[in-house]
Amino acid sequence: MTTGQMKIQILKAASTKLLGFLALFVLTAASVSSAQTLGKAPTLTVAAVPLVTAQRTQQTMVSLNFRIPAGYHINSNTPKSEFLIPTALKMDLPTDIILGKIEYPAGEEASFPFSPDEKLSVYSGDFTIGLGVHPLKSVVPGKYVMHGVLRYQACDNAACYPPKTLPVSFEVKVVKEPAEHKANPAQSPHVHN
Amino acid sequence: MENSVKRSPLVLVVVAFVVALMLYVGYHKARGAGITSHLTTSSVAPDFTLESLDGKSFRLSDLRGKAVLLNFWATWCGPCKIEMPWFVDFQKQYGSEGLQVVGVAMDDASKADIAKFAKDMGVNYPILIGKESVGDQYGGVPALPESFVISRDGKIMDKIIGLRGKAEIEDSIKKALNTQPPSSQASASTKVAPE
Repeated sequence: MTTGQMKIQILKAASTKLLGFLALFVLTAASVSSAQTLGKAPTLTVAAVPLVTAQRTQQTMVSLNFRIPAGYHINSNTPKSEFLIPTALKMDLPTDIILGKIEYPAGEEASFPFSPDEKLSVYSGDFTIGLGVHPLKSVVPGKYVMHGVLRYQACDNAACYPPKTLPVSFEVKVVKEPAEHKANPAQSPHVHN
Repeated sequence: MENSVKRSPLVLVVVAFVVALMLYVGYHKARGAGITSHLTTSSVAPDFTLESLDGKSFRLSDLRGKAVLLNFWATWCGPCKIEMPWFVDFQKQYGSEGLQVVGVAMDDASKADIAKFAKDMGVNYPILIGKESVGDQYGGVPALPESFVISRDGKIMDKIIGLRGKAEIEDSIKKALNTQPPSSQASASTKVAPE
């Protein structure tokens, strides 16, 4: 092996080691960077709702499935302080489709590093809100779009973010109620003339 | 061809180094400045005038000569509640040395609710009713709590986004107290009445 070849070999070996070190540094820096989310408000998402078929004159329950990004939580619908902002769904339904009950899940009792002695009522991860829609008899059968917003206020372990709203919408196919069975008037088996 | 093979480790090293450097710089910029990228330490703290809970007009630049802890908070912010008693302590302990804590409430709650909250927390420093425009001056204040430690000559010395340790904030305050007031106002005294 010539001196030149030896130099190249040494250079290659050193380069490989340096490359390994830098790759490790890049990976570490990238992971630290991605963990640095402070200051970035999370955005909730809502899953698409399959077409809901609702019969007139009856209440049909619809499930809205929400997802909170990992590392964040939002207040439940019944937070434990008057100053905390509850998660609340507001719907704006078409005429003669009445909003039924809204079923919020119970909050998860949790304490956080910023308040270890205090239990808060929060949602984290995935949660579902149930919603009743009740088309009146006057509604013409067909498809209707329901619009609404979910208002929430999120925090992580060290900071809180201003309240936000998430638009929600889903389609309801209103169908006629079953025809009423009209009982035949009682008839006497005998004809009296 | 042979040359390019021989050079490839070096090229990779350079590329990796550049990427690493960009990530490193980006991370530290993000950490130091949050998204308040236009405000860096040593920037002059943007001046503003806001109404305090007692209805008086309050101008930040009137505090030149004092070290200021400017705290953006909201009634709905849990971590803010943790800090407020610390700030009450700081105001008690360092007020005579020239510290002035100033709270800016960045929420939609009524003035009465903010006042009730502040009273419940035993706040002994001015609370101002925040405006979005003032938040924007300070980078939008996207997360609360967010505090700025301002030197006696009105420059931002530290930005604290989210909850940090009491000792860390106290260290920052001490550094601000050790700064020199602007020469023209060195002898001026600024008095701010607590709420």
